[in-house]
Amino acid sequence: MPEGIYAAAAGMAAQQAQLDAVSNDIANVNTAGYKSERLGFHDLVYQAEMGAPVGAGAAPIDLGRTTAAGSLNDTGNPLDVAIVGAGYFQVKRADGTTALTRNGQFQVDGNGSIVTQTGERLVPPITLPKGTDPSTVTIASDGQVTAGGAAIGKISIVDVTNPGGLLSVGNNLFAATASSGAPAAARGSTLQQGAIESSNVDLASAMTDMIEAQRGFQFASRMIATQSQLLDDANQLVR
Amino acid sequence: MLTELVRQDQLANDLANASTPGYKTDRSAQSTFGELLLSNSATAQPIGSLGLGVQIAETKTDMSQGPVKQTGEPLDVALQGPGFLVVKTATGTAYTRDGQLAVDANGGLMTSTGLPVLDAQGAPINVAGHASDLQIAPDGTIRGGGKTLGKLAIASLTTPSKLGDNLFTGTAGAAPAGTTVQQGALESSDIDAARVMVDMITSLRAYESSQRVIHSIDETLSRGIDSAGGMS
Repeated sequence: MPEGIYAAAAGMAAQQAQLDAVSNDIANVNTAGYKSERLGFHDLVYQAEMGAPVGAGAAPIDLGRTTAAGSLNDTGNPLDVAIVGAGYFQVKRADGTTALTRNGQFQVDGNGSIVTQTGERLVPPITLPKGTDPSTVTIASDGQVTAGGAAIGKISIVDVTNPGGLLSVGNNLFAATASSGAPAAARGSTLQQGAIESSNVDLASAMTDMIEAQRGFQFASRMIATQSQLLDDANQLVR
Repeated sequence: MLTELVRQDQLANDLANASTPGYKTDRSAQSTFGELLLSNSATAQPIGSLGLGVQIAETKTDMSQGPVKQTGEPLDVALQGPGFLVVKTATGTAYTRDGQLAVDANGGLMTSTGLPVLDAQGAPINVAGHASDLQIAPDGTIRGGGKTLGKLAIASLTTPSKLGDNLFTGTAGAAPAGTTVQQGALESSDIDAARVMVDMITSLRAYESSQRVIHSIDETLSRGIDSAGGMS
């Protein structure tokens, strides 16, 4: 009998996952290069109760991130780079592993290396010659970096077969996994210097998604109250 | 009371799937058990009929079209019309209307639960390298980078029944006329929350009435026993 109460509880958990995802999206509405989360749902097994199929609720599935491009914001900062098209910058994390990011707000560290805001170096590394004024750095659309007229390296853009399989590791960084496939050079994407890609979170649709999830959550919790009432009524049979 | 419990469980499942793409509502119809004709055992005079309560006659899945929601994702497709996408499971072929697709590490097109999506020849579709620039035409043809990569199979399904994981099984037929594929959109669950709430309340009250009836019968029996005992 209490199948329904568990189905409703599973529904609440699914809606909670949606609420969490939307909350995270809304919190990142101003994070450069952020992509909103893509969450799927599926129904659970069906079993016969008095000959009628009854389902066991719903469960969320993490499908990675959406792919829609964020709008490009001109900043005029020579070390701000936006990727136009698919792909990621490749950086090295402090623990030595390689990560991917679309956040192109770079800066120069104490050694003259081009690093992300959180200090990860580009892969392959690009180091400005001593005494270079960062404002004289030019980055071509194919990633070629020039400082003071001399070529000093090339920023590579990589992509994976299944971007949905990337593992978010925080700081706007992603790690390649077995389900995403290994990073390889991206095709057809270009860089734009002096611009950053803004978050692709659309506040209006995030808000409607949130309301939808909240209502779904409420409905499911009403269902639990009703199921509880049913159990209570059954208990009242014996006095 | 028991049939109302089953109905409540189905309603709970419907509400739990309020956000499941391509979910279809279950509805159960009730029918009475065959009635018994009571007659006096000594004189054979008929007394009247006695009902034995209700049973669930059948559960129908309401296959009406759910609202289509724009997502802008290249791997989201919504089916407009009565068809189904064809997917391969460990035990054979199954059908789904959940168009929230994904790509595996080798570029194979799959459902959100990881099952390969098939083309009309029953072969998996590979879209390696085009996960973000896929174009899916209304007839299901998939193009990427100017090349045709495959075509989604669309099948009709008679007597669909649910398997879980957004899958259906049934007798498959040729693509139904007028079913189109819309890229960048998802078919939402077709549950009507207001209707489910009303059904839930109605069913709860019916359940409670049955409970009262059981009580009355209990009391009648109790009084019968008491008075029968008092006579001796």
